[in-house]
Amino acid sequence: MSENSPSMLALSFSLNGVPSHCVAPAHRRLADMLRDDFGLTAARTACGIGRCGACMVLWNGRAVNACLVMAWQIGDADIITAEGLDAIPEARIVKDALNDENAFQCGYCAPGFVVTLTALLRERSTAGAQRTLSERNQPDEHDIRRALAGNLCRCTGYHSILRGALRAVDLLAGQPADTPSGDPS
Amino acid sequence: MTTPPVNFTVLKPRSLDEAVACFARAPTGRSARFVAGGTALQLEWANGIAAPATLIALGDIADLKGITHSSDTVRIGALTPLGELERDRDFGSTVPLLKAAIDSVAAPSVRHLATLGGNVAGRTGCLLPALLALDATLIGIGAQGTWQRSLHDWLSTAATPGELITTVEVPTMRDDWRWTALKIARRAAFSPSVIGIAGLIQLRAGRIRVARLAVGGGSVPPARLVHAEAWLKTQAWDAVDWTSLHGHLSAEINAPDDAFRSARYRRLAASNALVSGLGGPLPGHRHPRDRSTRASAALPGEIRLGRLTQPARWHARPDGAAKIAGSFRYLTDHRTPAMLVGRILRAGHAHARILSIDITRAEALPGVVAVVTHRDIPGRNAFGIIVQDQPALCHDVVRYEGDAVAAVAAVDAATADAALALIDVHYEPLPVVTDPQAALAPDAPQLHPGGNLQRLIEYARGDVDAAFAACAFTLEECYVTPRQMHGFMETEGGCAAVDADGNLAIHAGGQHALRDRQQLARIFALPEEKIRVVTSPTGGAFGGKDELTVQPALGLLALKARRPVRLQLSRAESVLAGTKRHPMTIRMRTGCAADGRLLAQEVDVLADAGAYASLGPCVLETAMEHAAGTYEIAHVKTRGRLAYTNNGVGGAFRGFGANQMSYAVECQMDRLAALCGLSPVEFRRRNLKRPDLGFFGHPIAPSERLEAMLNAAAASPLWALGPDAREGSADPDEVIGVGMAMNHHGNGLGSLIPDSGGGRLRLAPDGRIEACFTLDEMGQGLLALVVGVVTSELACGRDDVRPVIGDTNGPDSGSTTAARGTYVVWRTLRLAGREFADKLCQAAATILKRDAETLQLGIGGVIERQPVDAVPSTSDATATSIAPSAGGVAAASRVLLSYSTLAAALPADQLPCVDARFDYPTTDYVAGNARLIFASGACVARVAVSRITGEVRVLDLDQRSAAGPVMDVAAYLGQQEGGAVQGIGFTLTEEAVMTQGAYVTRNFDTYLMPSIADAPTRMAVSALEELDAGDDYGPRGVGELGIGAVTPAIANAVFAAIGLCPTTIPISPELILDATAPHP
Repeated sequence: MSENSPSMLALSFSLNGVPSHCVAPAHRRLADMLRDDFGLTAARTACGIGRCGACMVLWNGRAVNACLVMAWQIGDADIITAEGLDAIPEARIVKDALNDENAFQCGYCAPGFVVTLTALLRERSTAGAQRTLSERNQPDEHDIRRALAGNLCRCTGYHSILRGALRAVDLLAGQPADTPSGDPS
Repeated sequence: MTTPPVNFTVLKPRSLDEAVACFARAPTGRSARFVAGGTALQLEWANGIAAPATLIALGDIADLKGITHSSDTVRIGALTPLGELERDRDFGSTVPLLKAAIDSVAAPSVRHLATLGGNVAGRTGCLLPALLALDATLIGIGAQGTWQRSLHDWLSTAATPGELITTVEVPTMRDDWRWTALKIARRAAFSPSVIGIAGLIQLRAGRIRVARLAVGGGSVPPARLVHAEAWLKTQAWDAVDWTSLHGHLSAEINAPDDAFRSARYRRLAASNALVSGLGGPLPGHRHPRDRSTRASAALPGEIRLGRLTQPARWHARPDGAAKIAGSFRYLTDHRTPAMLVGRILRAGHAHARILSIDITRAEALPGVVAVVTHRDIPGRNAFGIIVQDQPALCHDVVRYEGDAVAAVAAVDAATADAALALIDVHYEPLPVVTDPQAALAPDAPQLHPGGNLQRLIEYARGDVDAAFAACAFTLEECYVTPRQMHGFMETEGGCAAVDADGNLAIHAGGQHALRDRQQLARIFALPEEKIRVVTSPTGGAFGGKDELTVQPALGLLALKARRPVRLQLSRAESVLAGTKRHPMTIRMRTGCAADGRLLAQEVDVLADAGAYASLGPCVLETAMEHAAGTYEIAHVKTRGRLAYTNNGVGGAFRGFGANQMSYAVECQMDRLAALCGLSPVEFRRRNLKRPDLGFFGHPIAPSERLEAMLNAAAASPLWALGPDAREGSADPDEVIGVGMAMNHHGNGLGSLIPDSGGGRLRLAPDGRIEACFTLDEMGQGLLALVVGVVTSELACGRDDVRPVIGDTNGPDSGSTTAARGTYVVWRTLRLAGREFADKLCQAAATILKRDAETLQLGIGGVIERQPVDAVPSTSDATATSIAPSAGGVAAASRVLLSYSTLAAALPADQLPCVDARFDYPTTDYVAGNARLIFASGACVARVAVSRITGEVRVLDLDQRSAAGPVMDVAAYLGQQEGGAVQGIGFTLTEEAVMTQGAYVTRNFDTYLMPSIADAPTRMAVSALEELDAGDDYGPRGVGELGIGAVTPAIANAVFAAIGLCPTTIPISPELILDATAPHP
């Protein structure tokens, strides 16, 4: 059995593909560690109680709220923040599609959405790779809405984000792109 | 305020026996607690529940996770995350009832951490009804060894400390079992439970062999409805007396009242859900009203906005990629080494006298660098955009719980938090004023020297009494709108630093940097030149960052500490301290003749200012200016009152009083139409006001397109999808309705308020054409708009333009509010563009040794002057832009001299730079604050009203708008869609509930903004761009248009569906249920 005194925990985990270490009290939230200790500010504490998704990160491949994860839970997790998503091929397509569709306005929630969508599309495309084309399970709008239930946005009304997500699905499935948007940006 | 958790010990036993032993060994008198996913802890601690001394984390114990399927049972390890159950391929088919319940728990990311055992152990979990209906068995371990009990039995006895659930066992469901499960909530997804239900029926030979009916979740005690079950088993399945069952259920369900829903609603909705879910019909009947209107022809000149419909006008935002990548830095993201962390001490009392403030203990805490109170304010301890009635730091009285009393700067957040607790403030509580009506009573406690009536606005014309006497129909109603929270995702905050020369720089999200600087200069007793304020970029504002927020405390800390300080409000603090939309009670009496012509309008508004005036007076004025909506009414009498209370602080919020008023006006229109036997369209058509006069009979800007907007609404394809069209709703228990509303919104601050604007065009040393404004990018698309206007007016390329915002060295652009930013940018280009272009051409002419008359601006640089294009364009340009051929497709002519070459060839002090300064156009009417420039619109909403839960969901939204030329399609579309959904929240789910001056809704767990599931299924946005000939007011702003018509459109759609027009928002599901069926 491991027992830790109410002093600091020594943590070793993978952060954006890099072995990382820090010392933190047991209750310190992952979101605060990322922002204040590692300088990774894309995960944002917009509510602190797991209700908004702005702090979303990938935790062993799954989207979780970094404000709900504490130091004592980290263990040897593989954590990827929005800043480290480009290691996942689907992420780049997701980001381009969202940008093409002007998915966001103030953008504060954007990294959280990108993390969730990347996880969704990676799951699907990984599963899809094992199936024939006809069986491949592309997420539709219903699936996307379900997956994004924990990501709040106050500016957009969500439809621009849905358009971006659906564009990403099309691009990942290799559909021919429609009329390209104006700027290469 | 919240206290941070004690730094608890975490134990990680590797076996069940170890876990039990850990608990037993916990020192007496110090708490120990088992923890699984831990997802509930942050909220518990935020709500003041003390953290335990010891957490016994169960995640390392083998065999507590996993799902085992057998022919009869499914065994689930208690530590199995709910997400794993969702992904299990067999689970959905073997236990569909539990799968359905899991889908409604929290959100996917939370379900990756939350466990089945955790949901059960707390006894309030949303899965309990489903598990009870399944007659789940719990297997566990405790100090006495292993145990096994039915969930039902386990719930009937008090929890045994030290006991642990290890496995949950449920039966493998048969195909012929009938079941239902529903979580009745306050939002379409990720909501606290109002009440959850589950039912399971097993038949044999037409008789009911097993019946389990359960409720629970949230505040509802989990329970089997054993009497109803026993009664149901006496029924033959094909002859169940469902009405009787409904009665049995209602009688047996035990549920509480709370601030959001009544016990009666819980019983009613749960009974409806169980009856309907098991296959029975609901009591009562529908009230479909045939409101169908034959769709008229499409409107000429109207364009549908979107990337695919306007491909040539679709541009990615300049800041989009960085925001998506996460590399974009907001003002609250700045961190430098040795930067201190600030926190503000809030009053915590809604109304109290301050007897003493002692900061000695706080200052003595190691790591604390500065503590400030009112004593540290060198200048005037007061601020407020209209009336400076709010202290920067309170000195004698606190008037709302979020009032700022002191602030600390420390080396880290934990120390700052600890220091707050060491500031000793002694209060003498004073009576709390909780109601604006009571506030105006003569004996009410006076919150300000001038009394509690902050503003009274009265207006009258004609003779309303005589007019009402002549009316064939008169309708008097009271419309009530809630305290809405802005909910910007980035809370208030930023950083501040003082340099060696004593210059103070404050970076904090705001909406008018120069005005902030002016107010702060007064507080800090510093000349304005010694203060630099940066207010952009910010993560959303909607009016909530218009007034000063953290800047006074931040500045005082930086000045005292002489070190950089950062400070950001937590969401809970933002809820507590930030401004809110003014709650309003609008009594409206409207009368018309038998043919539908409106004759009289009497309006009495009471608005709750909260503790300080902020922009309340202007909100009230704006509401009153919109009191007749878009209609011609000869006899009018209005009174508006703004009353101080101790209920937080009311302030600017998109819509600004106009959207509260349009809710009332537009509902009156539909209800009077029904009384007259006219369609909503025809009634409005008979009453539209003339487009060139405003509410006071004062001249307003041309191009108001009210008739066109009415025609556009009438042409909506949604009208054909009324009660019998099931598109989007296959549920027979949903009633469909279609409704409309019109609105207009006055832009600019109004005739009585100084409203100046300006901007600067300059050529940067690197050759970029910089358009400089002190306006703020808060997400509305200012940067994209600037690029659009500059390219349209100057005919340069988009890549040639660099928008510069927050530059306080140039002319003051004024505030980023009141939908005025678009005009400010456009007018700057109109005033400065030609001179700037001429200067560039002259400079180029010198270099090229040519006549400047033969040159013009083009894409990438100076080009050969083009012939004037005779054919009007369909591009972004307005019809009368200054560049001779800017009306055509931007010519890709050969660049004679690139902008970068030109800039490089000029000495720095000769780089062309032209300023524009102007006043925002106002009307001459000054007897009251009045607007000149209006944007107008209409909204058609198609809704589905649930007869089970009384909830309303928006299926389709068709927004029409007339705001002049669209300068950036994506930004315009975004503002309309975003405003609409923010309006949907205002209408259906949002209310910042207060009791005794304290917020009940303290964070996003209970304050429910629309989730993606609450957004309409389909949305369409159209724009009519034409302006009258000679209209020189350019593009109007749409920032506040989209939120104005959506609320009454939804209310009128509900009216069409069920015959009841909701007169209080957010709409009460209980009232809806009572309207759709008779209930005791």
